[in-house]
Amino acid sequence: MPLASPATSLSSQLLADLSKVVGEENLLHHRDELVVYECDGYVIEKNVPDVVVFPTERDQVVEIVKLCNKYDVPFVPRGAGTSLAGGTLAVGGGVMICMTRMKRILEINLRDRYAVVEPGVVNVWLTRALAGTGFHYAPDPSSQGACTIGGNLATNSGGPHTLKYGVTVNHVMGVEMVLPDGSVLEVGGLAEDGPGYDLTGLVVGNEGTFGIATKIIVNLTRDPEAGRTFLGVFETVDAATETVSGLIAAGIVPAALEMLDNLMIQAIEQAFGFGFPTDAGAVLIIEIDGLEAGLDREAHAIHEIVRQNGGTVKKSIPWRTRKEPEYVAIWKSRKSAFGAIGRLSPTFCTQDGVVPRTKLPHILRTITRIGEHYGLRIANVFHAGDGNIHPILLFDERDPEQVERVLLASHEILDECIACGGSVTGEHGIGVEKMSFMPKLFTPDDLAAMVAIRTVFNPEGRCSPEKMLPGGGGCLERKSPGHKASA
Amino acid sequence: MDWPESSDAPPLGDGRRAVAVDRPDSVEVLREIVRRRAAEGLAIYPQGGKTALDYGGIPRRPGVALDTTALNSVIDYPAADMTITVGSGITLAKLQEVLATEGQFLPLDAPHPDSATLGGIYATNTCGPRRFGWGRPRDMIIGVSFVTADGKGVKGGGRVVKNVAGYDFPKLLTGSMGALGIITQMTLKVRPKPEASALVIAGYSRLGDLAADLARMNTSDTRPMMMDVLSPEAGYLLEAEANRGSHGLRERMWTLVLGYEDNAASVAWQVQRASAELSAGKIETHTTGEDSLTRAILLAISSFPADRIESIDGSSDHPSQSPLSFVASVRRGSVSAFLESLQLDRWLAVAHAGSGIIHAHANPLDLPEETWTGEIQRLRDAADRLGGSLILSRCPIEWKARLKVWGDRRGDWAIMEKIKGALDPAGVMNPGRFVGTI
Ligand SMILES: Cc1cc2nc3c(=O)[nH]c(=O)nc-3n(C[C@H](O)[C@H](O)[C@H](O)COP(=O)(O)OP(=O)(O)OC[C@H]3O[C@@H](n4cnc5c(N)ncnc54)[C@H](O)[C@@H]3O)c2cc1C
Repeated sequence: MPLASPATSLSSQLLADLSKVVGEENLLHHRDELVVYECDGYVIEKNVPDVVVFPTERDQVVEIVKLCNKYDVPFVPRGAGTSLAGGTLAVGGGVMICMTRMKRILEINLRDRYAVVEPGVVNVWLTRALAGTGFHYAPDPSSQGACTIGGNLATNSGGPHTLKYGVTVNHVMGVEMVLPDGSVLEVGGLAEDGPGYDLTGLVVGNEGTFGIATKIIVNLTRDPEAGRTFLGVFETVDAATETVSGLIAAGIVPAALEMLDNLMIQAIEQAFGFGFPTDAGAVLIIEIDGLEAGLDREAHAIHEIVRQNGGTVKKSIPWRTRKEPEYVAIWKSRKSAFGAIGRLSPTFCTQDGVVPRTKLPHILRTITRIGEHYGLRIANVFHAGDGNIHPILLFDERDPEQVERVLLASHEILDECIACGGSVTGEHGIGVEKMSFMPKLFTPDDLAAMVAIRTVFNPEGRCSPEKMLPGGGGCLERKSPGHKASA
Repeated sequence: MDWPESSDAPPLGDGRRAVAVDRPDSVEVLREIVRRRAAEGLAIYPQGGKTALDYGGIPRRPGVALDTTALNSVIDYPAADMTITVGSGITLAKLQEVLATEGQFLPLDAPHPDSATLGGIYATNTCGPRRFGWGRPRDMIIGVSFVTADGKGVKGGGRVVKNVAGYDFPKLLTGSMGALGIITQMTLKVRPKPEASALVIAGYSRLGDLAADLARMNTSDTRPMMMDVLSPEAGYLLEAEANRGSHGLRERMWTLVLGYEDNAASVAWQVQRASAELSAGKIETHTTGEDSLTRAILLAISSFPADRIESIDGSSDHPSQSPLSFVASVRRGSVSAFLESLQLDRWLAVAHAGSGIIHAHANPLDLPEETWTGEIQRLRDAADRLGGSLILSRCPIEWKARLKVWGDRRGDWAIMEKIKGALDPAGVMNPGRFVGTI
């Protein structure tokens, strides 16, 4: 492929140099090829990078980063691009470093309970590689069939089962990363504790603003011996959310506790026909796991709490492995919920607020009210046990007026989460989407400390500029500011 | 200003004494003190329950002790949300007492729970046997507030259980040794108190047999919350502590202690099952919820070796004779390999075997320094080979520099020094205590 006529202003010398590092087959720079990379799962802001490179090993990442420094261009890491917060948006163009071709599982060690993976390994690949071993990698975002462990690390992803087992940061033991100056840093390791600050804990969730992860050591967890998965059916959303509060307050820590409202149930039924009752106001997927010997007691308590709140347990799936057909079916329906949304609307925007679990009934009522106020349809499917809501606002991105209403409604929902003592993101990250909320959650002193920490890793702001922290993008100007979605 | 000489001056640890003690009763007052003391050119040494003053490097320059114990209130306890927000000066025991009123607890073991503060426990990243099942301090903290050297209050995280807004300061501050700022407040995830708990104690005359059982328990049908190994002498001393004769413990054998917590049916089943899975000839089990023996053994193990120090050499108030202890962290499956390299006539060891953690205490200390220098180097190399590291949790002051409390410089220390420089450029907070030049 000739590199003579670059689609953008990027120096052709840089393109040639990049090509030398990764090979032409691992580089995209034609406008039509780049369009795919203009946004991720957050479609409201778009900007094409000038070039996308696909390194296949760490030393290439080092060289790419050094070239970006030499030519003074920004760069942004990308995994599978499933971010729902615009984390991969190429603000100011520049070089997008796509990690999906560094995709080897380097080591699985059951005795020491860890696995070493490259960042482009898709989350579910590791799950599959571990099937039957008695161990698993706990964080299981609903997007696990597509998203990469590198992306999970950068966003500190959660998932349905993180209620009991913890989020990504609780399962990362060490990281090798290429810093924005091209040097390589290793933090953490194969042992749990090391001398010094917990840099692993700090690095997880940095949203790509500290550098590029090139190798990740993750913790492996024993599989539960057995479990029970229940489908609780409720006439109203209120009854379902009251049940969530009731379960947590009763001291039950389910392995997963997910809620779907009527709009969502309908979409999923159309798509998968699992057998969710389409006339229900809401359903809860309640899962417990542990030792078979102890499960009956908890199961009984759960039935009781569901009943007290006017619901019924419509299905009860006992399982020994996560391969029982009914188990697979119910979770496929849940985890593919976003995909099913396509049947309801051409475009959607998912919010990721968090409230204290006792405030769930309140926040869902508020969401309904806000939806009515702005004349928007909002579907809900979310990690109820964590208080992590995902209202999905349906709209048509070709209609700027609708886009405007979606933004206003989203902001109102998130403001209410803050007012409840919660947060504007439980797992998707701040990205570009929610930067304007940071000053509402944090004081100028808090933010200054965060900027100071970012500056340690990323002094020039060259790596993923203008993300996460407002007003701090370092030296780089936005070449063509992301525009509101249009056709 | 010079170091105060008078023995009346309050202790900072390692034989150093504080110029003064400040004990603020509010964060505002604390911030004011920090600004004033920093302006006076003094260093600030945060102190909680003073249970770990000798931990870390030697205080580098004169300064004040900043006592956090007045910041001990429960700020918010929405029990139904299973979170609690407390001042950092609250003691672990007090916190557990508050949580118990709602049938909840913080699954964290630390020595001296009656005096150890949450701030101190978090700053030093202290935890005990049940880290295997419940996680480490970092896994329970969701929000933190701290005061930096310029007197500013900074927070990270929040009060909800899931939150990825901003960098994870709660993790950064956990184990920060007071060297980034003074933790003033923290929000923690708590758990419902398990209905039942039990210990399964097995004795072995050979470490090799115990190692085989450890490997077996890695894929046990049961799910132990703790999996500890006691060296023969340590088991013997712990038995005295818990005041009860258990097989392995009494007979100076290698001891494996498995702990279970869950509802009663599950615990009963697991105890039976574990006993059947183990190869040891002598197995003893202790069940029931509030069993005092279970608790006594847990506490004794958590406190080891700190609690043993006085009774072993009777000299803990003479700082220069404070004994030598280390903590090694190795791959989880390598604990028995590490223990193989320990000379049992020199060390008492307690290992959180499922987590790859070995605590050991020199016994006796009457060998020359060179012997210990060589010994520590040899064990450090062993820990290194097994994928980890070794730090000295206690060390005679005059040996500290040579024996290197935190071990040899590592690749990630440079960036740690920059982080320190970003939040505390003048080195006001706990100078000398932590790794590298921090
Ligand atoms: C249908 C659907 C369901 C979802 N469900 C969940 C869920 O249940 N839980 C959840 O937490 N999230 C969920 N998400 C959000 C998203 O999948 C996660 O944020 C995921 O971790 C992103 O992974 P990715 O590989 O797609 O990363 P990308 O989207 O490519 O990137 C995400 C961020 O990580 C950075 N990054 C990527 N790779 C690296 C690297 N190697 N080094 C440094 N930085 C890097 C990027 O710069 C960006 O900031 C969902 C998304 C979709 C579309």
